[in-house]
Amino acid sequence: MKSLISKILDGNKKNKLEKFLFSIVILVLFKIFFPLINATILVLINEILIFSSLSLAFLYFVEITSTKSDNPISLTLNIGVLSAVLFFIISLSSAIFDTIENIEDVNGVIYTFSSVIITQLFILFAVYILSSFQTFYSMRQKRDKENYFNYLLIAILLSSFSGTISGIYPELQFVEKTFFFIAIVLVVFNSFRVSWIAFLTKKQKIVILLTSIIVSTLFGLNFAMFFENNIIEQIVSNFSPGVRVSYRLIMLYGNIYFGIIFFTTLFHLPTAGAFDQKSEEITSLIDLSKLMTQVLDFKELADSLTDATNKVCNSDSAWLVTIENNERSLVSVNNIGYLEAQNISDELLSEFNGQLTDIISMNKKLIKIKLKGDVRTYVFQAIIVAPLKVHGKTNGYLFAAKRQKYKFEQDEKKAVGAFADYAAIALENAKLFKESVEKERMENELEVARNIQSRILPSENPKNDRLEVDALFVPAFEVGGDYYDYFQLGNNKLGFVIADVSGKGVVASYVMAEVKGIFESLSRVIHNPKKLLIETNDILKRSLSKNSFVTALYGIIDIENGKLNFARAGHMPLLICSEGKIKEYLPKGIGLGLDFGTIFSSNIDNMEIELNNNDILMLYTDGVTESRNSANEEFGFDRLIHVFESNYNGELSNITRSIFEEVSIFSKEEQQHDDITLVLFKWKNLKKSLEKLNG
Amino acid sequence: MADFNVSSRIDGDVNLIDVKGYLDAHTAPDLENEFNKLIERKRFKVVVNFSELNYISSAGLGVFMAYVETMREQSGDIKFSNLKDDVYSIFDLLGFPVLYEFYKEEKEAIQKFR
Repeated sequence: MKSLISKILDGNKKNKLEKFLFSIVILVLFKIFFPLINATILVLINEILIFSSLSLAFLYFVEITSTKSDNPISLTLNIGVLSAVLFFIISLSSAIFDTIENIEDVNGVIYTFSSVIITQLFILFAVYILSSFQTFYSMRQKRDKENYFNYLLIAILLSSFSGTISGIYPELQFVEKTFFFIAIVLVVFNSFRVSWIAFLTKKQKIVILLTSIIVSTLFGLNFAMFFENNIIEQIVSNFSPGVRVSYRLIMLYGNIYFGIIFFTTLFHLPTAGAFDQKSEEITSLIDLSKLMTQVLDFKELADSLTDATNKVCNSDSAWLVTIENNERSLVSVNNIGYLEAQNISDELLSEFNGQLTDIISMNKKLIKIKLKGDVRTYVFQAIIVAPLKVHGKTNGYLFAAKRQKYKFEQDEKKAVGAFADYAAIALENAKLFKESVEKERMENELEVARNIQSRILPSENPKNDRLEVDALFVPAFEVGGDYYDYFQLGNNKLGFVIADVSGKGVVASYVMAEVKGIFESLSRVIHNPKKLLIETNDILKRSLSKNSFVTALYGIIDIENGKLNFARAGHMPLLICSEGKIKEYLPKGIGLGLDFGTIFSSNIDNMEIELNNNDILMLYTDGVTESRNSANEEFGFDRLIHVFESNYNGELSNITRSIFEEVSIFSKEEQQHDDITLVLFKWKNLKKSLEKLNG
Repeated sequence: MADFNVSSRIDGDVNLIDVKGYLDAHTAPDLENEFNKLIERKRFKVVVNFSELNYISSAGLGVFMAYVETMREQSGDIKFSNLKDDVYSIFDLLGFPVLYEFYKEEKEAIQKFR
C-alpha cells in the first residue's frame, strides 16, 4: 500500500500529467454511470475520486509553478489572471442562470457533462492557485518548514470531507466547522511567509504592491460570491460538496495572503532603495573578485572599478590614477572628461605632496583649473581620494566625486576604500604577470644564446707535447659575444682565434656563429693572418648591422720552430711572457665591421715573433680587464699583468685559475656583465731542451 | 647600474653633445635619441664632448657607427673631444682614430667644421 502511494506521488512531470488525466477519465466515467448521487456510499466514492484527481493535479501543477520560484512577480500575475477568470465566470454565470429557478430539477447527460467540465475547470484553476501558494510559501525559506503547508493541505482535506459528511448527517456540522476554523488559522499562519519580499528590487516592490492589492480584492470577491444563491456554487456543491469547502478555503487563503503581501511590501518600500544599494554593492564586489582572477588587462578592470564606484557610492564621477616609476597616469574615467580628471587629480594630489597614505573625504571643494589660459572652477560637494596600497606602497589613487546636493556617507566612503584595495591588488597582479612574462621571454632568449655559444666553443683544447694549451671561458648572465677556437693546419701548425662580438644576447650569439663559420673555412685556405682578417671583414659586410662590430685576433703558430705570425682587428693586445717578463704586442688593425673598404685593408699588419722555450702567450677579451668592483673600478690591465707575472712559473692551468680567482674576488659584489675569456699557449722548444740535456 | 646622462648644446651650426657617466647597452638608447633628434632637425655637424664620460662599451661605440654615415652624407660629421685616457684607449684599440677625428679640446673640433 505504502509503495503504491509513493509510486503515485513519484515520477516526473510527464508521468504526473498522465496519472492526472487518467484519474479524470475515471471520474467522468463514474459521473456518466451515476449522474445523480443519493446513496451515502456513492457520495463517498465520488468524493474520494474527485480528491485523488485533485491531489494528482496539485502535484502536477507544483512542478510547473516551482520553476517560477525565482520570479514572484510572474507568479503573482498568473494567480491574478486566474482569480480574475474565476471572478468573471462566477459573475457571468449568475447573470445567465439567474432565470433558472431550481437547478436540481434539471436532469440528463448534457447537464452532467457540462457540470463536470465547468467544475473541473473551476477547480483546476483553484488547485493551480493553491500550487502557486506552495511555491510562494517555499520561496526564500531558509529552514525547511514545508510541514506547515502540508498541515494546511491536510486541514483543507479534512474540512472538505467533514463538509461532505455533514451534508449527509447534519448533526455532525460542528466537526466541519472545527476543521474549517483550524484551516483558517493555518492559512493565516502560513500567510506570514513573505520574506522573499525583502529581496525584490524597488521597482519590483512597486509592481508587487499594486498587483497584490488587486489580487487580494479579487480573491475576497470570489470568496464572498461563493454562497448559497450562486449558480456555480450550486453546480459545484452538486458535483462534490467537499470541493466547495476547499475552494472557499483557497479563495480565503488568496485574500489573506495577498493582503499580507500588500502591507508587508508597503512597509518595505521606504527601505527598498537602501536595500537595493546594498545588494548592488555585494553584486559588484562579487563581479570584481571574479574579474580579478580572470582579467589580466588592468585597464578593463579599472573601467569596471570606476563604474562600480559610481553605482555603489552614488557618486557622479569616478576615476583611477596609477603611479609607476613616479609617473602618474590616468587609467580609467567614468562620467568625467579625461582632461578634467587629469587636472583635478593633479591639483588635489599636489596639495598633499604625494604623501597621501590614507583615504580622505573632503566636502565643499572648489577647484580652479587653468586650461589654455581659460580658468575654470569646478564645484564639488564632496570628493573622496583613496590610495591604492600594496605592501605599504602607494601605487595609485581612486577618486570619487559628487557634484550635487549630498555628501558621502560613512559606508560609501568605506566602499570607495574597498574598491581602492581591489584596484591595488589587481594592479600588483597585472604588474607581476607582465614582469614574469617579460622575464620568461628574456630567459628563453638567453637560454637559446647560451646554447648557441656552448656549441660554438671548442669542447677541448688541442694536445701536443710541444704546445701546452689552456683556456677559460666564463659566460655572463646576459650572454656576451666571446668566441675562441683552434684550427689544426697540417701537422706542424696550429691556427687560433679569439674574438668578441659587440652587443649581447641572441643577436651577438648569432653573429658569433657566423664568425666561427668564416674562420673555420678561411683558416684552411688562407695562411696569412692579415689576409684572412681582410677577407673575414669583407664577408661580414653582408651580415653585420651598422652599429655592430667584431674584434678579433688571428694567429698561426709553427709548433716545430716556434714561429708565431698573427694579425689583430681591434682586439686586445697579445701578451707574451718570456722568462717572467711580459710584453704587449699590438700591431695596428681596426675592428671588423668598422669599415668595409680600403681603410680596413690598409690599416692592418701582420706581426711575426720567434718564440723562445717556455714562452707563454696570453689572449684575452675585455671581459677580464673590464670586470668591476663595487666601487666601480675596473680590474684593469695592470692587475692582469701582475697576476700573470706572479704565476708564470707553474702549470698553465694554474695561471688561468689564478687570474679567474683574482677577478672573482675583485668583482665579487658585482654581477659579471660580460663574458670572460682567456686562452693561453706555452711553447716548448724540444730541440733546446735536448741540447741542454746533451750539453 | 651606473648612471648615464646626455645633453645637447648649440654653437652656431655645430651641435655639442655632452655625455656623462657610463655608456653601455642599457644607456645607449638615450644617446640614440639625441642623434635622432638632431637628424630630425637636419643638424648634421656634431661634436661629442667626452669630458665626463667614464666608460664606454661596445654597444656605446656602436651608436656612433650607426649615425656617422648619415652625418657624413649630409656634409656633416661626428667628431670626438675631451676624452679621458682610459676611454680613449678603448677607441684606440678598436682603431676608431683611423675613422674618426679626435680632439683634445671641444674648440678645436668646432673649428674644424668651419
